[in-house]
Amino acid sequence: MTRQRFILLTLAPALTVLGLLAAVSTAGAVWFSLMNRVLGSPDYEFVGLYNYLRLLRDKRFFNALEISLIWELITVAGTLVVAVLLAVLVHETVKRALWRNLICFAFLAPVLLPRVAAAFIWRFLYSPSLGLLNWIVGEAGLGPVEFLANPSLALVSVAVVDIWQWGLFFTVILVKLLETMPRDPIEAAMLDNARTWQIHAYVTLPMLKGPLISLALVKAVESLRSFDLIFVMTGGGPGTATETLDLYAYQSGINLGGRVSYASAMSILLLIVTTVAFTLIWRASRKWSR
Amino acid sequence: MTMTLKGFMAGTACAALLPLAAMAQDTAACMGKLPELNVIGQGMPAVTALDAHLAEFNKKWGTEVKITLLGENERRAKARLDVSTGAGSYQVIYMDEANLAEYVNAGWVYPLADVVPADYDLKDFRVDLANVASSGGVQYFAPFVGGGDIMMYRKDLLEAKGIAPPKTLDEMVAAIKALNDPANKVYGWSARGQRGSGMNVWRWTPFFRAMGGEWLKDGAPAFASEAAVKATDLYIDLMHSAPPGVGTFNWSDSVEAFRGGQVAILIESDVFGPWMEDASKSQVVGKVGYAPPPEPLPSAGWAHGWAISTVGAKDDCAKVIAGDFVGWATSKEMEQQRLAAGIASDIARISSLQSEAYKKAVPQEYIDALLATGPRTNLLIMANPAWPEIGDTLGLALEELFTGTRSDIQASLDEVSFAAEDALARVK
Repeated sequence: MTRQRFILLTLAPALTVLGLLAAVSTAGAVWFSLMNRVLGSPDYEFVGLYNYLRLLRDKRFFNALEISLIWELITVAGTLVVAVLLAVLVHETVKRALWRNLICFAFLAPVLLPRVAAAFIWRFLYSPSLGLLNWIVGEAGLGPVEFLANPSLALVSVAVVDIWQWGLFFTVILVKLLETMPRDPIEAAMLDNARTWQIHAYVTLPMLKGPLISLALVKAVESLRSFDLIFVMTGGGPGTATETLDLYAYQSGINLGGRVSYASAMSILLLIVTTVAFTLIWRASRKWSR
Repeated sequence: MTMTLKGFMAGTACAALLPLAAMAQDTAACMGKLPELNVIGQGMPAVTALDAHLAEFNKKWGTEVKITLLGENERRAKARLDVSTGAGSYQVIYMDEANLAEYVNAGWVYPLADVVPADYDLKDFRVDLANVASSGGVQYFAPFVGGGDIMMYRKDLLEAKGIAPPKTLDEMVAAIKALNDPANKVYGWSARGQRGSGMNVWRWTPFFRAMGGEWLKDGAPAFASEAAVKATDLYIDLMHSAPPGVGTFNWSDSVEAFRGGQVAILIESDVFGPWMEDASKSQVVGKVGYAPPPEPLPSAGWAHGWAISTVGAKDDCAKVIAGDFVGWATSKEMEQQRLAAGIASDIARISSLQSEAYKKAVPQEYIDALLATGPRTNLLIMANPAWPEIGDTLGLALEELFTGTRSDIQASLDEVSFAAEDALARVK
């Protein structure tokens, strides 16, 4: 048996199961999206593209699309910036292996915390009347800040929690990557009297371009699944200020009278948009990482 | 025809024993006929407390009770799917005020009196809960938790300012403004702001109803009215005397702010009364007064309980066993056992309210307020199957108004009313 044949044979069962699961659920969602099914009634009929056409006239849907896009940008960029800055800081300032490992261990804790638990903890921290953050802000004479009730602050406030969980986790990965980098280019830069920030900006980080792009893609996919965090912290509010597409689909399909067909149409559109977007980003990233 | 005293007594005794005889006959005939009794539940203390006693019921009927615990929305969706598709996997369904109209209209649940044991004391339920569990004068589910609204106020703060407990809405508004002291982190009022038919809409509705608001007129939405605008205006005005962030407060935020000592007056569901007297979590133990909501605010009634599915319990034995389960799980004895286990929040029976065990658990003033509020408690939400959708859309609009995302109250309500026409049409 050739090596290629062996790989194909061993992968085939898992791929078949995954493919079947994906195909059945996607086909089911497409089927539902062409009906007018609601949870309250067993009767339904074929309505063609009505649900899709209605979505194109739904202001709340476009608002949710916009919020989802902003959420992706804030959380992916924020996570990478925090991770890079902290990784460089730890790499440069903590030289003893024991301390560095302890810090990495502590940085892993937030991502191990269940999202719902993290959401409740931060919701309490943000509380304008009882929260620790507002106590600190109050001591600084800045008065209570309505982190989750102010439409301009709410999305960023929830994104901070996401960045706190994933930024620290990515920091650990980057610290380990920095430790394993070849020393020659760095020492050459040091001989040229390059400053620390210059070494990282022009030597180490460009060498980490490939892993950084992979981390960005992983985070982008993960950010699409932030339903639990947003649902617990704001429920999509205030108003629709933090209502992402998955949250709106849930509200339509489960909360708002069980319009499962409409919610299915929304999910299919979300699937198409993300598949196209990620394919384009993936192709572009292969070019950037060369 | 004459009757001797002996004959009369014997007849009375026989009549009293008839239900027991009938029950014994049912038990014998249905013993072991239903291998599983499937129940949809929600994790309320009254439900989880049943676990300790299920073996007793299983032994009586030779069955196994299986309670599927779900979150509120999932529970509603699953129960609705089970009966609407005719699957009928569940004999006993967890019901609440929001889905009663839909289930009764569709004929998915039996009238309670037709299925519970004959000796079951239906008249012992609190009037407020029985009202919510009824439609057209017929009670459909047996409540085990619920209630109406109660006004909780800080006796010490009111006394310090020489303010008497408010009895009217105007007095309450004046008191809230007089007691509001943000500099010392004491706020006059708190309320729910977060969107949702069971959140901000629930607390806003008594104001809407007090202003004379009606949900529907001739089957069409009528709530984008002057009454709704006035109610919303007043609610927003009172929010200026509430803790920061109140625009997105849920019930928990409001209750915690009150028992954290930051709020002077709070109107909330009466089940939260005992929470204020819990010394391990409350900073206001012994400082809280209880009274019915000031006139003309009505009391928003709610109740959760068990009903028997006409789809899941079609045959006679399933009906008898499911009926007996509901009767057993919501009996006076079961409430007493819960009280003995320290659960004072889930009380649905008058006899429990009057029991020594309950009097020990909560202040007498709270019990008096509870009984005084009962007759004013009713279902204030729209009794229509389209309510969950309409209520949530309205909640979204209210949250936008409360947080300042929008400011035109009439325009917001008009949009909700427009969307409600679609929801009502779909139900028809």
